[in-house]
Amino acid sequence: MSVPLVDILSLSGALFALGIFGVLTRRNFILILISVEVITNAAILNFIAFSFYSPGPAAGGITGQSIAVILVGLAATEVAVGLAIVLALNRLRGTLNVAEAIQLKF
Amino acid sequence: MNAETFTFIVLALGAVLSGALALLSREIVHTVIFIGGLFADLGAIYFVLSSPFLGLLQLAVYAGAVTILLMFAVMVIKRRIFARESTLGIQVPTLALAVIVGAVLVNVAMDVPNYGPAPSCPAADPYCVGALAQNLFLLNGAWLVLLGFIMLSALVGAVHLAREWRTPSVRRIRED
Repeated sequence: MSVPLVDILSLSGALFALGIFGVLTRRNFILILISVEVITNAAILNFIAFSFYSPGPAAGGITGQSIAVILVGLAATEVAVGLAIVLALNRLRGTLNVAEAIQLKF
Repeated sequence: MNAETFTFIVLALGAVLSGALALLSREIVHTVIFIGGLFADLGAIYFVLSSPFLGLLQLAVYAGAVTILLMFAVMVIKRRIFARESTLGIQVPTLALAVIVGAVLVNVAMDVPNYGPAPSCPAADPYCVGALAQNLFLLNGAWLVLLGFIMLSALVGAVHLAREWRTPSVRRIRED
């Protein structure tokens, strides 16, 4: 792999900043969930980059990829729960605006 | 600049553009389509970074399942809710904060020492898939089991959240 590490980390930083912007700006629950997914993908990209630039597979350099696999599973789980919350919020309050969902109890 | 780096830069620009369009689009369906494009772009980037297994996982789980799940969630929610809560435009302080965070992260990335060319995988296992499987199932097996428990709990939690509510307090909220 000959892609410079700094390029990969810069892409990861840009995606992270994009996700932060989405989380702070948007009020729609689905858009916030999507922004969190962008942030998660930025983190996963970092794991993959450092996995290949650390000492070889025999020395444990593949561990970053293993963690990335586990993170992908976790992120998919998070989306499933998040969308279940979206459906519950929509049914109970008739809105997806997080500013209106100020009570944690149903 | 070699072909790999050029491909990476093109895909990276596509990913950032897709992400920006997804967050700035006023139509929620367009947002989901653009976010699917971002996930597919990242999957292609993983292939360029010699991680074909993760690339396939990204395409199957994120570009496939998660995007379709988001699209179904959009379909079952009334459109008037999205029209009422459409995007608010660009808020300058938040945009400035995001730009500062991005600049700091890119600056940190510039300071990361250059590790030189990445170590190559053995000839018999050119994409390190065997090494990944050994690492995942032997060394990190406990984390996989933990992930399984978390996913099971999430399944139960999601079913509990999405079921039809019939308790008196919920009925009172719905009548309000």
